[in-house]
Amino acid sequence: MTARCEAPIPEGTLLDYWARDLTDGVESARIEEHLFACGDCSARLHDLTALGSGLVALVRQGRVSGIVSRALLNRMQRDGIHVRMYSLAPGETVPCAVFPGDDLVVAALRADFSGVDAVTLSVTGPVHAPNGEINDVPVSRPDAEVLWATPAAVVRRMPSMRLQLTLASAGVAPAELGKYVLDHSASTSPA
Amino acid sequence: MQTIVDSSDGDLARAVAARGPEAAEAAEGELYRRFAPRVRLYGLRHLRDGDAARDLVQQVMLVTIERLRGGSVRDADQIASFVLGVSRTMVKDIRRRDWRRDQLRDAFVRPDLVEDPMREATLDADRLEMCLARLAERERMVVLLTFYAEKTAGEVGKELGVTEGNVRVIRHRAVERLRTCMTSREVGPRAVAPREVAE
Repeated sequence: MTARCEAPIPEGTLLDYWARDLTDGVESARIEEHLFACGDCSARLHDLTALGSGLVALVRQGRVSGIVSRALLNRMQRDGIHVRMYSLAPGETVPCAVFPGDDLVVAALRADFSGVDAVTLSVTGPVHAPNGEINDVPVSRPDAEVLWATPAAVVRRMPSMRLQLTLASAGVAPAELGKYVLDHSASTSPA
Repeated sequence: MQTIVDSSDGDLARAVAARGPEAAEAAEGELYRRFAPRVRLYGLRHLRDGDAARDLVQQVMLVTIERLRGGSVRDADQIASFVLGVSRTMVKDIRRRDWRRDQLRDAFVRPDLVEDPMREATLDADRLEMCLARLAERERMVVLLTFYAEKTAGEVGKELGVTEGNVRVIRHRAVERLRTCMTSREVGPRAVAPREVAE
């Protein structure tokens, strides 16, 4: 039986090691020496990788809700995930639906993000009551877009409805950047 | 009475080297159970491929036990360093050329000797999906870019327009929140999704 670890690797360091963020080769080598000799720390790393594997499996099934980045979306499409994309400019109403074989439905919301670091996305449902907000969505470039993803399995269960989306800059004095409408038609055939 | 499970790594290595008829087999099994997961993690970390990591385990453990049997491991108490050294060498070899995957698979350690120590922990996918949805947007984006897109903190930072240091902080916090959520029975608010709009 290996002895209990007297100098456990800090969680942050373990995470940095796994994510290849340790640029110091000596530090990486020291961690690997420890991991091979320490059952406790290698078990902790195993738990971390299990969490990562679980996340990868969810993404591969299109079970991702919320904002995604373009890089993440590109990677998903490269991996064969079927993405149904609706691109909207401010003021636009776009008819939308989900089709057999779709894994993920994404609304790409365009706007002028000049001078904006983060935005809030508000979603208003059929009765025009606020249904929710997604806050502090990072925006890295003026020509960026906000990609709002919903699993196709969720959209398939939705009745026909109109969803109003509003983007506003985040912060103490929010300014509206655009309003968009998704005119959703319910699925008529099983996927 | 000391059992094989209670033995130190060095004691196991010495038992394998001594080649006693039954003790060596039990020691090999325990050595495999103990080190195979660590080699697999090393393989996953450096090769990012589950199949390649499994092959690496077979190769490394084969060499390790062969060397122990042959008496060519000088310091049994340093067996962990020895296994790491073999792992490093083999990962370098794998990167240089295509690996002959099937050649040595199952050649040495009998699969029936021990319960598979490398099996993936199975997480509750529904629960994980809910926990992921409960993260703040930045946290969710960072963990997905890290674990799914396999991006470093610097790459994630460029993608999201934040510093590398911030990404590390967000990532650490997100992982902790996911772990806490996975072990908690509490159900709280989650990210906005049309499902809730429809209800």
